[in-house]
Amino acid sequence: MQATTNLPIHRIGEEVASNRALEAVSISFLIAMLPHLAHLPVWVSMLALFAIGWRILQARAQLWPAPKWLLVPLIMAGGIGVFAQYWTIVGREPGLALLTVMTSFKFLETRTHRDVLLLIFLCYFLLAMHFLFGQSIQIAIYMFGVLIIITSTLISINQRDDSLTFLPRIKNASRLIALSIPIMIVLFVLVPRIPGPLWGLTQEQRGGVTGLSETMSPGQISNLITSNEVAFRVTFDGPIPAQQQLYWRGPVMSAFNGNTWFQVRRKKLEQFPQMEASNPVDYTVTLEPHGKSWIFGLDLPAQLIDDSYLSADFQLTSEKPVNDLKRYDLSSYLTYKLAVDESFDYLVKATELPADKNPKTRALGQQWAREFKNDLDIVNQALAMFRNEPYVYTLRPPLLGDNPSDEFLFDTRRGFCEHYASSFALLMRAAGIPARVVTGYQGGEVNALGGHLIVRQSDAHAWTEVWLDNRGWIRIDPTAAVSPDRIENGLDQALPDELATFRISTRNPLISRLLFGWDHIQNQWNTWVLNYNQSRQNRFLRNLGIGIQGWGDMIIYLVFTMVCLLGLYGLVGWYRQRPQPPREHDRIIAPVLHKLAKAGFPRNPSEDLIEFADRVQQAIGRQDIELEKLVRTYNKIKYASGYDRPVILARFRRLCERWSPAGAD
Amino acid sequence: MATLSLLLRNPFKQRMQAWIEKRNPLTGGAVTLTNRRLYILPTRFGYIYALMLFILLLAAINYQNSMAYAMTFLLTALGMISLWQTHNNLLGLQISLNSPEPTFAGDHLTLAYQLSNPAKATRYAVGIQYEEQPPGYVRVDGEATGELRLKLATHQRGLYKTAAVTIFTRYPTGLFHAWGLLRFDRDILVYPKPDFDARLEPSLNEAFDGQATIDTTDGDDFAGLRGHRMGESLRHISWKAYAQGRGMLTKTFQGHASPSLNIRWQDMSAPSPEGKLSQMTAMVVQAHQSGRKYAMTLPSIDIELADGPAHYAHCLGQLAIFQQAESGRAFHASHD
Repeated sequence: MQATTNLPIHRIGEEVASNRALEAVSISFLIAMLPHLAHLPVWVSMLALFAIGWRILQARAQLWPAPKWLLVPLIMAGGIGVFAQYWTIVGREPGLALLTVMTSFKFLETRTHRDVLLLIFLCYFLLAMHFLFGQSIQIAIYMFGVLIIITSTLISINQRDDSLTFLPRIKNASRLIALSIPIMIVLFVLVPRIPGPLWGLTQEQRGGVTGLSETMSPGQISNLITSNEVAFRVTFDGPIPAQQQLYWRGPVMSAFNGNTWFQVRRKKLEQFPQMEASNPVDYTVTLEPHGKSWIFGLDLPAQLIDDSYLSADFQLTSEKPVNDLKRYDLSSYLTYKLAVDESFDYLVKATELPADKNPKTRALGQQWAREFKNDLDIVNQALAMFRNEPYVYTLRPPLLGDNPSDEFLFDTRRGFCEHYASSFALLMRAAGIPARVVTGYQGGEVNALGGHLIVRQSDAHAWTEVWLDNRGWIRIDPTAAVSPDRIENGLDQALPDELATFRISTRNPLISRLLFGWDHIQNQWNTWVLNYNQSRQNRFLRNLGIGIQGWGDMIIYLVFTMVCLLGLYGLVGWYRQRPQPPREHDRIIAPVLHKLAKAGFPRNPSEDLIEFADRVQQAIGRQDIELEKLVRTYNKIKYASGYDRPVILARFRRLCERWSPAGAD
Repeated sequence: MATLSLLLRNPFKQRMQAWIEKRNPLTGGAVTLTNRRLYILPTRFGYIYALMLFILLLAAINYQNSMAYAMTFLLTALGMISLWQTHNNLLGLQISLNSPEPTFAGDHLTLAYQLSNPAKATRYAVGIQYEEQPPGYVRVDGEATGELRLKLATHQRGLYKTAAVTIFTRYPTGLFHAWGLLRFDRDILVYPKPDFDARLEPSLNEAFDGQATIDTTDGDDFAGLRGHRMGESLRHISWKAYAQGRGMLTKTFQGHASPSLNIRWQDMSAPSPEGKLSQMTAMVVQAHQSGRKYAMTLPSIDIELADGPAHYAHCLGQLAIFQQAESGRAFHASHD
């Protein structure tokens, strides 16, 4: 007898995605996109929202799907739109916009299970792109939450079981992610880091970032003061120097148009300036991205860092804008005496003044030049004037007109650091002494918990440098003459009535502890997570004490750790998946079932025992009361509670022992 | 591209299938999915996912972005974990298949696969695919048993074997496809399609006239309970048993049997052998339903006068396998 099956072969139809899956993926996409709204052109955001809304409505209300032929022109139009927006399609913002446009159109044509899976991958992609825009702890936490939601969507789509509600799905996803985290950490620590970039990055300067600018005019720094954003954090190798020594040197400005100071592009110094100095201070700066290329160091940096140079005005400058968190080790001399060589041209430029502005200031400077032989006396005369005459240090100076220095020095006499620095430099120049303005930060708050210094935007400051024969450039801070408090104790101490302090230490002790703790965590995050680059990885692994050096070792340790970890998982998994030993009631009933099977009544595994007993009784054609009793007792033990378990088990055992198929025959 | 992948895939798939079949012998009992029986490969989405991870890694390197690295590594870990979990989702499952109830050609036949999960963890989205048919999915809770029923459309009478089915899963992430091949050695018996329309001319067998008794639903003495059959009056259902959760059972009573029949091949009016078989099947069914005794004669075999389920099954079975064609279209499967 030939027994065959012969089935027609045809392709499996594409599985159509359920509305529920579609909605879940829409929500995933929306929450993945939400923080991107700030980085996207409005029309792209609107397009995405429209596409998702349309698709969901269409599924709910059975509207017509978007016709397929329309998609290709739509996608092309989207691409052209993005190009028109940025004039390029490579780079961070255009890439993001393009990805969002494509995903939105993909939503329109999503129909099958496969489409939905693809959308989920696009969501993962969109999520990863956030980190190109910011990597703070808050963003990481949000992203982690979104990651779990997207993963739960992925799982639920593969579960093919709509009975599960939101929470168990989140639980399943969380378990999967929790299992992934140890592997992620091992990979993060041990996968050899490749120094980037692999291809040229567009050197876009980022707008909208708080920080110092290339120019300085009255009022600019006082605007910055109201921001409590962290500019950078510093960890010193030794003790933290005194507040009045903490001059963080930033952009140096030596061109003046009567109102505003500008930077002058100066050549790179081929070698470090000769100077007499000793006892350098070593420290590590974690600089928040500010979109400009200057790098802050204590006045005066004694060395260079990677990808940077020192210009002739002793300004540390990075080769590319600081668009990501930057961490660097530096050492500085707090007291120094520079060698006296400076280009003559530059010194001449450093005394230039617009001829038509601030006549009174210029006159005063010229008068001093006639009165005093010594340049240093002129400097002291100016400082004495600020100190002795009724000058007021204030964040809210009156508005100044066309001759700001004249009005400030002789009329209003109320000003902020930029007024004092600017007017002082002006007076010096008028007296024939080369002078320039230096902007940067002064001071900072010590976080005792983390042992580091927090420098905020509110610590922004401006001071001056003058050129004295035989002395070179020396730092003069006219603000210190007006308000010594500003330099010694910080701005909030100098102006307690004008400025709400940003200092954590002035808060209620509990809140202050919490804030310092949070600041400490952020600093650790910056140090260990965001700055875990090739050199840090090498240093960390060397210092682990197991002697990992170079790629070869890293890969060996990576493989070893992964094998151990996965082995551990395998063991736990095997333990969890192991067949459970039969329960007591199952053990007791086993001989009965065995006898029945021998009599020709094998039990189906999925058959309830009561169903099975019925089947047996039908087959033999009569009732077996003993068997029914036995089966009912079994179900009582298995499903019901509230019985005295030992008693009922003993009864059950008796029933099982007493029962025989002979009674059934 | 599609052609290329077909060219590449098919010989490989065929060779692999042959290898898998060698490793998965036909079985009569329950199959436990062990490591040896399970296979796992990335799905198309697994490859797309890998490509995505590679692009993310490039971006992380290029932008020297630690969080992009972290996310790439987390997603990589997710992939590794899902390889393991997809495999575990099948590992240890015990599957059995009982011989399906015979059916009449043209009706649906149900293959009920019993999946029992001896472990504590729930097995989600376990799929069974019968040849190239759309798969059916089932969820099996921890220490519980699930059943997956595949409905097959039957077309031609005969005795068949169940084809190999693939048990597979892509849970939890769809990045990997784990599968095992189940080759159960089970008979599928398809009776001829009964032809109730023909005017039947059974020969009355006088010799066995009316002494026997038979269980019916309208006799005098209570005889017992049996499973409810479709079409029976609800009046005869034992509601007491139903209330006890024992399902729909019909009370049967002993009554007197009707005159018996002799169903003979040579008496059939249909010209073709298949037509004759269909007519005989219809007569057997009618005789059984009316509770008569009947005998059956085929050119190859004589079955003596009897009644009862065993006799009924025997007669229909002989009709099913009578000069069975070498091959033929048997089933269209659909799942429910």
